[in-house]
Amino acid sequence: MRYSPSVGQELRRIVGRDYVIDNHNDLRIFERDGSIEGAMPDAIVLPASSEQVADVMFVAAKNRIPVVPRGAGTGLSGGAVTIYGGIALQMSRMRRIIEIDPIAQTALVEPGVVNQELSLVAARHGLFYAPDPSSQKACTVGGNAAENSGGPHCLYYGVTTNHVLGMEVVLADGSLHWVSGDAPDRTGLDLCGILVGSEGTLCAITKVKVRLLRVPPSVATLLAAFPSIETASQAVSAVIGNGIVPAALEMMDNVTVGAVEAHYHAGYPTEAGAVLLVEVDGIAESTRELMAKIREILAQSSGFAMREAQTPAERELLWAGRKGAIGALGRIKPNYYLHDGVVPRSRLPQVLSAVGEIGIHYKLPVANVFHAGDGNLHPNILFDMRDRGVLHQVEEAGEEMLRAVVELGGALSGEHGIGLEKAAFMPWVFTEDDLDAMQRVKAAFDQQAILNPGKIFPDATRKPVRLAGRSGLALEAKWW
Amino acid sequence: MVTAVAGSATDKPATAEELARRLHQAAEAGTAVIPVGGGRASGMGDVTERRGVALHTSRLDRVIEHSQADMVVTVEAGITLEALQAHLAKSGQFLPIDPFNSPGHTIGGLLATGWSGPLRLRFGSARDFLIGIRVALPDGKLASGGGRVVKNVSGYDMMKLHYGALGSLGVIVAASFKVFPRPLHDVTLEASRPSFDEAWTEAERVLSLPLAPSALELFSDGRMLARFSGSPDAVNRTAAECGWATGDESVWSDHSRRAPERWARIAVPRTELKRILKALPHGEGWWASPGVGIAHWPVDATANAVLDMRAKVESAGGTLVMLSAPPDFMQQVGAWGTPPPTLEIMRRLKDAFDPKGILNPGRFVV
Repeated sequence: MRYSPSVGQELRRIVGRDYVIDNHNDLRIFERDGSIEGAMPDAIVLPASSEQVADVMFVAAKNRIPVVPRGAGTGLSGGAVTIYGGIALQMSRMRRIIEIDPIAQTALVEPGVVNQELSLVAARHGLFYAPDPSSQKACTVGGNAAENSGGPHCLYYGVTTNHVLGMEVVLADGSLHWVSGDAPDRTGLDLCGILVGSEGTLCAITKVKVRLLRVPPSVATLLAAFPSIETASQAVSAVIGNGIVPAALEMMDNVTVGAVEAHYHAGYPTEAGAVLLVEVDGIAESTRELMAKIREILAQSSGFAMREAQTPAERELLWAGRKGAIGALGRIKPNYYLHDGVVPRSRLPQVLSAVGEIGIHYKLPVANVFHAGDGNLHPNILFDMRDRGVLHQVEEAGEEMLRAVVELGGALSGEHGIGLEKAAFMPWVFTEDDLDAMQRVKAAFDQQAILNPGKIFPDATRKPVRLAGRSGLALEAKWW
Repeated sequence: MVTAVAGSATDKPATAEELARRLHQAAEAGTAVIPVGGGRASGMGDVTERRGVALHTSRLDRVIEHSQADMVVTVEAGITLEALQAHLAKSGQFLPIDPFNSPGHTIGGLLATGWSGPLRLRFGSARDFLIGIRVALPDGKLASGGGRVVKNVSGYDMMKLHYGALGSLGVIVAASFKVFPRPLHDVTLEASRPSFDEAWTEAERVLSLPLAPSALELFSDGRMLARFSGSPDAVNRTAAECGWATGDESVWSDHSRRAPERWARIAVPRTELKRILKALPHGEGWWASPGVGIAHWPVDATANAVLDMRAKVESAGGTLVMLSAPPDFMQQVGAWGTPPPTLEIMRRLKDAFDPKGILNPGRFVV
């Protein structure tokens, strides 16, 4: 069944007249997320409570209308795109931090709470929320849980799933449940674990209980230049091989450094083939000791022009360059397209040289800025949408890069999710039997397949995502 | 205690494919299958509803791949934790799992039971560093999830589906882990306080030191063990601030050998643990990880006392699970306690993977 005016009436009775948007022009705002492919929903519904989410889902289930939960729409894999139309369940009215418990070091939040806002509020208690996607100024905790998001500091602290203690969720039949909670080792199957990272295909998240960590008393941040990506990659392996797991270990290539420096004037060495941003935290003795050792290791791996942030402001500036790098790339070309494949860390030099060659082959500039410690690539293919035929080239180049990642034993995505973008590539890394097992999970939660259809699994009714055919769209440079 | 497999036939396949075939055959015949790893946790769970085949993973004991530089290891499920640690130690690495009733746990068994030890305080449980899994399913298929990279959101997190599921959805045949470098410096400290309240207060003080301990164990007799790891200066300064006596690292392996014949695991929100420990029947011994919210209770008390205690634990939002007990005692108290409110969803998952209910029938929650 399809969305109809009478369904719209029913939904308005649940969430209030102003909170169902179904006129064509207004819907356009929600046509896309941070990825490139877009599609129009039939309606935007903005619930204000868990009960309203449950009621909306019940109506959708009764009418077999697709439901796509949506946080801030910063996702990069098309997870929030309503490719089969239906209801975009916009969680932005549910943005209360319900409770911060400084003793238990936990927070209970609604899904629409912005990631960085949670850490800012928790800071009053000397606590922070560890997962820090580069979009953290905008992205939501609910969206992070749905995508199992990462971020630079996940190298040491772990990704979202390691910090979610429990969730309140609405299933496809409109039923409301709590999964897991404050106590460790719950009885039965780990539903919370399977729901985190399920990309809106198994449930809508209505509350999230997360673990907070104590703000480390001391932080040291170092910027180091290297002659080439290869030497920087070797340095990454050397640091970790020496038994040091920094809080963050990020790499930027020469193209990125040039753009960042022009934009932020953060003192990035533009003559470098690549730079590493290394951060350690803990007590003062620890950061001092580890940083001294790291400097020594980096120097042995041809590191030069090392500069340690002397003040919090300097540290902020170094990070602003990293987290805003993709925005800065807009100076080179107005549009970018990136994948976030992961390779075993030791394969970084190989995969980066493959990425470079693919860029040269397609005559497309590529800027690398990524979580080197995790082996999590972010090659940004830079282009101008207005160039004739370029989208097809960009898409093919991206696909080839991902192929190189997989051939080196890697995975399709480290933190952005499979979504719409990479669904067609899943058979590259998973067998039919692997995917069948995942499909059984899907069917156990969502028999009618109304939750976020067309995502994660290869969709026989759709061709692999094609960028070509969409033009004249100047994408704003975004965080990722 | 091998209550779950008493009287069963045994089968020890040599490959994952063979194991999957045996599982399939059993499913076709409707024969119950009890997966067995090292048998260290075979007392866990309710007594199975019917006898069947004990399907051992002990011959699947290879390290499939260890990339020292990537700090990732892939092993077959039947390898023991000790064999894996010995392998990793050659590269100065380790897997931070230190379960009780050691040695002899297999990796598959640890994943299926979700057992953890003192190091959970710093590293979390294996759930947190399990990055890939391969499972034999009752229909004879071998299904993998995750991969061999440390960060991965490709597809559903199938690792979580099987972790702690006590082999009720499939038999784990292989797993990949993110491993850790041996700490640069590691010290063990010990202390004792005459009363529970004093010991608890002291434990809380040490847990809130700027460099948190990687393990802290508290015993019913007021004894405490702590471990600090990290860079040498930081560890030494913290050890001085802690003020406890230096202990020997071997206390940890002694501690992990604890294996009462009849014992329960109490898991509550951290902030509830003190109250719960005080509510234990007078004179009962226990040990606990106050920073985690877990206590282990070697049970001397009666079945009724356990049930009373479980009621208190559950009203505090936790669980009391019997890890092992003689069959009649287990039947009186039940292994798991009140089923979770989401039981219906769990059953749908069980049906999706094991429609004939041949895996550990009656032993787990589903």
